[in-house]
Amino acid sequence: MGYFETLEEETEKLYAIARKARLKGNDMEMEPEIPLAKDLSERVEGLVGPKGVAKRIKELEKEWSSREEVAFQVAREIVITPDEEGKEDPIEVKELKADQALRTALAILTEGVVAAPLEGIAKVKIKQNFDSTWYFAVYFAGPIRSAGGTAAAMAVLIGEYIRLSAGLDVYKPTDMEIERYVEEVELYESEVTNLQYSPTPDEVRLAVKSIPVEVTGEATDQIEVSHRDLERVETNSIRGGALLAIAEGVIQKAPKVMKYASKLKIDGWDWLDKFSKGNTKSDDEDKGAPKVNDKYMRDIIGGRPVLSYPMAKGGFRLRYGRSRNSGLAAMGISPLTMEIVEFLAVGTQMKIERPGKGMCVVPCDTIDGPIVKLRNGDVIKVESIAQAKEIRKDVTEILFLGDILVAFGEFLRNNHVLLPSAWCEEWWVKTVQESEEYSEDTGPDLSLETINDISSEEAFELSRKYNVPLHPEYTYFYHDVSCFDLNTLRSWLYKNYDESSIENGLILDMEPPKRILEVIGVPHSVQDNKVIINHDHTNALISTLAEPLDAQKDITTLEALNEVSPVKIMAKAPTYIGTRVGRPEKTKERKMKPAPHGLFPIGTNGGSRRNIIEAAKKGSIFVDISRCKCTECGVSSFHAKCPVCGARTEPTGATKKKINLASLLKKAYENAGVRRLDEIKGVVGMISEEKYPEPLEKAILRAKNDVFAFKDATIRHDSTDLPITHFIPKEVGVTPEKLIELGYTHDCYGNPLERDDQIIEIKIQDIIISDNCAEYFIRVSKFIDDLLENYYELDRFYNIKEVEDLVGHLVVGLAPHTSAGVLGRVVGFTKAACCYAHPYFHSAKRRNCDSDEDAVMLLLDALINFSKIFLPSSRGGKMDAPLVLSSRIDPEEIDDESHNIDAMATLPLELYEKSLGFAKPSDVISVIDNVKKRLGTEDQYQGLMFSHNTSSIHSGPKLCLYKMLPTMKEKVEEQVKIAEKIRAVDQKGVVEGVLQSHFLPDMAGNSRAFSRQKVRCTKCNKKYRRIPLSGECTCGSNLILSISKGSVVKYLEISKELAKRYPIDTYLVQRIEILESGINSLFESDKSKQSSLDVFL
Amino acid sequence: MSDDIILKFTNANILINDKAYERIITQENSIKFTESLIEDIVYSNQNIIVLTEEILDQYLEKNGLKEEINNEIIPENADINPPVSQSKFQTGMPFDFHVIQDTTKKSYTSGEVKDFITYFNSRYEQLHNILNKRRELKDHRPINKIGKSEEVIKIIGMVNDIKNTKNSHKIIELEDETGSTSVLVHNESGQLYEKAEKIVRDEVIGIIGSKKGTLVIASDIIQPGVPRIGEKPMDFGAVFISDVHIGSSTFLEDAFNRFIKWINGDFGDDNQQEIANDVKYLVLGGDTVDGIGIYPNQEKELTIKDIYEQYDEAARLLGDIRSDIKIVIAPGNHDAVRLAEPQPALPETYAKSLYELKNAEFVSNPGVVSLDGINTLIYHGRSFDDMAMSVKGFSHQRTDLVMTELIEKRHLAPIYGERTPLASEYEDHLVIKEVPDIFHTGHVHINAYKRHKGIHLINSGTFQSQTEFQKIYNIVPTCAEVPVIHRGSFKLLKFA
Repeated sequence: MGYFETLEEETEKLYAIARKARLKGNDMEMEPEIPLAKDLSERVEGLVGPKGVAKRIKELEKEWSSREEVAFQVAREIVITPDEEGKEDPIEVKELKADQALRTALAILTEGVVAAPLEGIAKVKIKQNFDSTWYFAVYFAGPIRSAGGTAAAMAVLIGEYIRLSAGLDVYKPTDMEIERYVEEVELYESEVTNLQYSPTPDEVRLAVKSIPVEVTGEATDQIEVSHRDLERVETNSIRGGALLAIAEGVIQKAPKVMKYASKLKIDGWDWLDKFSKGNTKSDDEDKGAPKVNDKYMRDIIGGRPVLSYPMAKGGFRLRYGRSRNSGLAAMGISPLTMEIVEFLAVGTQMKIERPGKGMCVVPCDTIDGPIVKLRNGDVIKVESIAQAKEIRKDVTEILFLGDILVAFGEFLRNNHVLLPSAWCEEWWVKTVQESEEYSEDTGPDLSLETINDISSEEAFELSRKYNVPLHPEYTYFYHDVSCFDLNTLRSWLYKNYDESSIENGLILDMEPPKRILEVIGVPHSVQDNKVIINHDHTNALISTLAEPLDAQKDITTLEALNEVSPVKIMAKAPTYIGTRVGRPEKTKERKMKPAPHGLFPIGTNGGSRRNIIEAAKKGSIFVDISRCKCTECGVSSFHAKCPVCGARTEPTGATKKKINLASLLKKAYENAGVRRLDEIKGVVGMISEEKYPEPLEKAILRAKNDVFAFKDATIRHDSTDLPITHFIPKEVGVTPEKLIELGYTHDCYGNPLERDDQIIEIKIQDIIISDNCAEYFIRVSKFIDDLLENYYELDRFYNIKEVEDLVGHLVVGLAPHTSAGVLGRVVGFTKAACCYAHPYFHSAKRRNCDSDEDAVMLLLDALINFSKIFLPSSRGGKMDAPLVLSSRIDPEEIDDESHNIDAMATLPLELYEKSLGFAKPSDVISVIDNVKKRLGTEDQYQGLMFSHNTSSIHSGPKLCLYKMLPTMKEKVEEQVKIAEKIRAVDQKGVVEGVLQSHFLPDMAGNSRAFSRQKVRCTKCNKKYRRIPLSGECTCGSNLILSISKGSVVKYLEISKELAKRYPIDTYLVQRIEILESGINSLFESDKSKQSSLDVFL
Repeated sequence: MSDDIILKFTNANILINDKAYERIITQENSIKFTESLIEDIVYSNQNIIVLTEEILDQYLEKNGLKEEINNEIIPENADINPPVSQSKFQTGMPFDFHVIQDTTKKSYTSGEVKDFITYFNSRYEQLHNILNKRRELKDHRPINKIGKSEEVIKIIGMVNDIKNTKNSHKIIELEDETGSTSVLVHNESGQLYEKAEKIVRDEVIGIIGSKKGTLVIASDIIQPGVPRIGEKPMDFGAVFISDVHIGSSTFLEDAFNRFIKWINGDFGDDNQQEIANDVKYLVLGGDTVDGIGIYPNQEKELTIKDIYEQYDEAARLLGDIRSDIKIVIAPGNHDAVRLAEPQPALPETYAKSLYELKNAEFVSNPGVVSLDGINTLIYHGRSFDDMAMSVKGFSHQRTDLVMTELIEKRHLAPIYGERTPLASEYEDHLVIKEVPDIFHTGHVHINAYKRHKGIHLINSGTFQSQTEFQKIYNIVPTCAEVPVIHRGSFKLLKFA
C-alpha cells in the first residue's frame, strides 16, 4: 500500500472512532465537523461551496492552463446561470450569485486554504449610481489581509469580471467619495498601521476613479473620517479591508493585475500602466553588483543584535547550497557561529540584506564557522562545539562570522541576481573534476574528509597539476586588505623567514602587521610576545606572496596578487551579507489568556482565575448561555441531548439564565470518572452566536491532564516552522524498525534501512515535532483516552506511555489566517524549539520558513472536539479553525514558493562561474534541478537531494540568548557587547540604532499615549475613553489607568545609561534629555520639588 | 446708517415698531446698541417677533442702562485711539506688561488616576460655573435628579459621546458627577441641529429639553459662550507671529530678516514703516525652533541639529529687534518642553540665550498676558488637529471658525484622547476663564483672522516654507505673512 493510502486508511480509522463518539449524542453535531478534502477543488467546495463545484473545477482544470483562468470561468458560470430559463433574476438573487461567485473564485486562487474568501469579503451588493445606472460593489473586511496583496487585487478583478458577466454599469464615484478614500489612506497610515505600499493622494484618486467596481467595506477601526455621512458609504469609520484591496492589492500588484486583465480579455485596466512602471526596480539593480542595502537594519530593536553591517567585511559569507534542513527561506549557519554569538539558536529568525528579507537559522556543520581572536592574541578557526563553548568567554573579536548557506532557490524566489559565490571546497572540487588533466580513475581522492585535510604543499601541487586555483583552506581573505597591506605583511614575514626552519612554522616578533594576519584570516598563536604561524599556513603565505605586489597600478588587491602568485588565487569571500537577529524561535502550547480547560461560561463567579470549582461553591449562578430546545418535548436546556426525554435539541439563541452549577459539576465528575480537582478553569462568557457551552466533563478531563482548550475547543501546540527533506533515525529518536513499520525502506542513497545513522528522505506529510510538543501531546492523548473511555464509553485509543509511542500518530497542521488543516504524521522528535517538516507540508499551510509559526493538534482531538458552534460570530472568527482537512498534499496545488526547492547533490560549476558575473537566476535555471522541474512526476516526492549535509538538525543552541536573559537591560547589554566583538558591526551605530528605532519612539509614543489614555475597571474590565466625572465604574468599582507609569519610563534608565557610556550622537543625547524632562513633568509634582527645596533652604 | 439698523433686525427675523425704531436711532452709537440688543434677544431665546418700546425698556432696565448712559457709548466712528506720537520710536515708553495666567512650574500632577479625576472635575466645575450664570440654566438639576414627567428639563453636563442614529438624529451622551443621560437632537430641528453638529466630546454644555422615555429631547443647547466685549483704547501696535521653525532647512531666514528689518523701521513703504513705529509688543506663539526628534527622520530636514544651537540662533535673530519692543514667547509642540498641555514656558536650560535677551518674556502654553491693558490669550493650537477631524466644515485652512467655536465653548482643547495630549493637572488651565481682547494661535501654518464679538481672533501663519510632509498632503502654508493689531485694527504685512 502506498504512503498516501496508508495515511488515508489511518485517517479513516480515526474518523470512524470520532463518528462513534459523536453518535453518543453528547455533542451538538452527531458527526465530526471537519470534512476531508483530497485536493484543491474539494477544499474549495468544503470551504465556500457551492455544492458540486469540485467536479466542475476538475473539468475546467483539464480545459484551461492556469488556475486564474479556472477561477474566472467558475465565477462567470455561477453568475450567469439563471434560476429559470429565459427569466431575469431579481436583484437579491443576483447578489447571492455574485457573492458565491466571488468567494468561490477567490478560494480557488488561494488554494482553498486561507480564510480570506470566507472572512475577507463581507458581502457584495448591486447598487445604483446617481445617474440611475446599476453597478457592482464589493465589501472587503479586515481579514482580506490573509489572502495577500495579489489575491486581494484579484478579488477586485474577479469583481469586475462578475460585473461584466452580469451586465452592470461601472461605478461612478463622486468627488466626495474619492476624497474619502484619500483621507482614509492617510488616516489608516497615521492611526492604524503602515501599508506595504503607501500610495500618494493622486494615485488613490486615479485608482478609485478607474476601478470599475466599488471597492468598499465595513468599518475595521474605530477611527472616524471627516468626509462623513456619504449616501453610498455606510460607515464613517475607516474601511481597512477596502484600503488593503486598493493600495496593497490593485496598486501595488498593478503589473500582475494588468497581466491577468489582458489574459482574460478584460478591457479598461490600461491606466494601471502608470503604477507598473513606477514600481518596477530600476534597471541598474539587475545589472552588475548590487549596492549596500541597509533596509534590514533600519529598525534595530533592543536585545536583537545586528550581527553584520551591510556587505561589511568579516560578516556572513555567502555560500551556495542547500542543507537537508534548509530551503523555503531557512538558511544554514554553522552551529559553531551560533555557539559563539549565542543570539542564534535553531529556528531564530534573522533579517537579512539579501536575497530576501528574512530567514530562519538552521544548523549546518559542513560550512565554515567563525574565525575569532582570543584574549591572549591567538587567532583560531573554531573547530568544535565543545571548543566554542570553552573559548566563548575569551573571545575579544569575531574576525569572521562564518558562512551563510543560501540555496539557489532563494535567489530564484526573490528574483534577485546571483551574487559572487564564496570560494569553497565544493567549488574547488568541481574545478579539479572539470579540468582537462583530470580522470576519475587516476585522479586524487576528492571526498570531503580527504580534501579538508590537505597539506599546503599538496594544495599547491594539485593546483599546478590540474591548473586550478589554490584550495580554499590556503586562500585567505586577501581582498579585504590593500596591496600596501600585503606588502607590509610580506616584508614582516620574510624578515623572519628562514627556509631551513619552516618545518616548525614561522615565529615572528610582535609587530603591527599582525593585524593584517588577523584580517585576512590566517590562524596563528601568540606565545611570549611572539607570533607563531604553523607550517602549512607559513608555506601558503610565503608561496603565494612570492614577490612584492605592484601597488601603483589601478587594479584590485586580488588582481595584483595574481600577478605574483604562482597559482591562481580566488576571492575567498566576494559577498558578505548583512544580518540582524529578528524574532526568537518558539515552541509552546497555545493558551488563551487566561487559559481555560473548557469552554463553559461562569461569568465573574470563578474569580480572576475563572475557576469553575470556585463558582460552583455558590451553588447556582447567572450566566448568558445557549437555549437548546428539545425537538420532542420542547423543554429548554443547554445540552445537545434533552435532559428530560433524551431526544435531540436545537439551539434557539442565548439567554441569561440561572444554572445550578454545583449539581452540574457533581454529575460531571461522576460522568468523567474523576473524584476531585483543585482547579478547573472555565470562561467568563461564550463568544459564539449560540453560546452553546462545552460539556463540563471535557473541562474536567482537560484539567485532570493539564491541557488547555483553544476558542474552537481543540488543543493546540505552536512551533516555528522549519523545513527538512532528510533525517537520521538516531537524531530524531526513532528506531529503524519503527521507521520500517511506517513504510520507510531505504536510505537516500538506495541502501536498505538497517542502522540508525543512515540518512533517510522524509515522506512529505511526516513531521518532526519538538520535545516540548511531544510532552504536551502525551498529555493530550491521555485526555482523549480518558474522554473516550469515561465520557463516550469507548475503548482507549492512544495508550501512550512514552514519547516513542507518539510516532506514527496523525496530526493536523493549521496556520493562522487559514481555515484548512493539513494532515501530518509524527515521525520523530527534535530538541530544537521548532517543528521540522517537509517544505511541501509548510507550503500546503501557506507558510514559509522565515520564522512563521503555526499549530499542530492531534487529529482525533480535532475530530471529536472541534465544533463550529464554538466559533466567535465576530469578523475573523472562522480564521485559524480547521474547517476542512486536506488529506493529501499535491505539490502542484500548494503555494509555488516550494517549487523553488533545490534538489541537487552537488551544484554545477556553471552556477559558481555565472555567480561571479551577477547572472539572473533565470540564466542558470537550465543547469538546476529543483522541484518545479519534477512537478507532476513521481520524482516530486523523492530524490530531492541536498548539497550540504549536517551531522545533526539540532546542533547549536536550542534557546537564543534573547530568551534566556530576563530583562531588557541585560538583553541590551549583551547586544552591545556582541556588537563590540564583531568586526562587521559598528558598536556605536548599534547603540544609536537601538535608541533611535526602539527606545526613543517607544518612550515618546508612550508618554504621548499616557496623556490621552483610556481607563479600565478593575472588576468588570469595562473600558472608558475618558475617566467619568464620578471617578468610578458604573459597577461601583475602582478604575485604573491603561498605560502605567512603568510603561512610559521603562526604557528611560537604560537609555540614559547607554548615552552616558557610549559616545553617541549629541542629537540622540538631547532627545533623551528632553524626553526625560517631559516624562518627569508628567509624574513629578512641581510642588513636591519646591517643598523639598524649601527643606534645604 | 438707519438702513443698516433695519437690515440687522431683518436678518435677525425681528420686526420693529416705529416708536422703538425712533428711540434706537437716537442712540449715539446706534449700530452698536442695535447689535447688543439683538444679541440679547437671540441669546435669551425670547420669542420676539415685533420689537416694541416695552421690550426696549425692559432691555435697558435689565442691563442697568439708562438712556443717558447709553448716550455716552463711544461713537462708532470716533477715533478712540489718540493720535500717533510724533517721535519716530516710542522709546522710553513704559511697558504696562503683566502676566495674567502662566502655568509654568505649576504642574502638580503625579500622573495617578486620582489626578485624572481631579482634572476633569475641575474642567466641569469651571465651565459649570460659567453656564450656571446663564439665565436660561438658572434652575438646572443634577442628572440623577431629573424626574420622569417634568415638562422642562435643564441640565449641565460634560459630553461623553456623540452618535448618529440610523435616521441621522444625534444622540449626545451627557454626564455630570451624579450620572449620565442621553440627549436626542432631532434631525429636523434646524439651527439646533446645526449647533449640535459642532458639539465635540468632553466639552461642557447645557441642555434644555423634555423627557421622553429614557431620552432627553433637546430643545436648546447652551454653550458657555462669551458676551460681546467693548473696544479698549489702544495707542500702540502688537505683532503676532508663530511657527518660525528656526533650525529647519525650510526656515525662511531671508523673509524673517526682512520682517526684523521692518520692525526696526528699516524696511517697507511709509505706511508700513509707520505701523512699525508703533509696535510695542511682539508675541511669539510657539514653535520658535524646529526642535529635535519631533517626527521620524527629522534630522534629515534640519540645518541645526543641536537644540541648544537652535535656541542660540533664535536669540541671535530676535536679538536684532530693537530693545524697546517686548517679546513674549510661548512654547509649541516643536519646542523643548513636555508635549502635554498646558506646556510650561521654554526651559532656561535649553533657551538660555533667549533668556539673556533683556526684552524677552516667557509664558506657558496657553498663557494670558496683558499688553498695556489688552488681554491676550496665547495658545499654540494643537487642538485644531482634533477639531478639524471632529467637526464637519472645520479645517486647518479656517482656524478662525475653529477659534470662534473654542471661544464659545470656553475651552482651548476640549477633545480628550485624540491627538492633543492633556496633562491631568489639578486645575484645567485650558478653560478660557476670562474673555480676552485678543486670541492668538498658530500651529497650522495658515493665517486666519476674524473679529468675533469684539475679540480679535488671529492665527499667525509661519516662517517655514512647505515641508515634505505638507507637500504629500497638499497643505499650502501662508509664509511670512505677519498679522499686526495696530491701534485696534487688523493689518497683514507680507515679507515673502
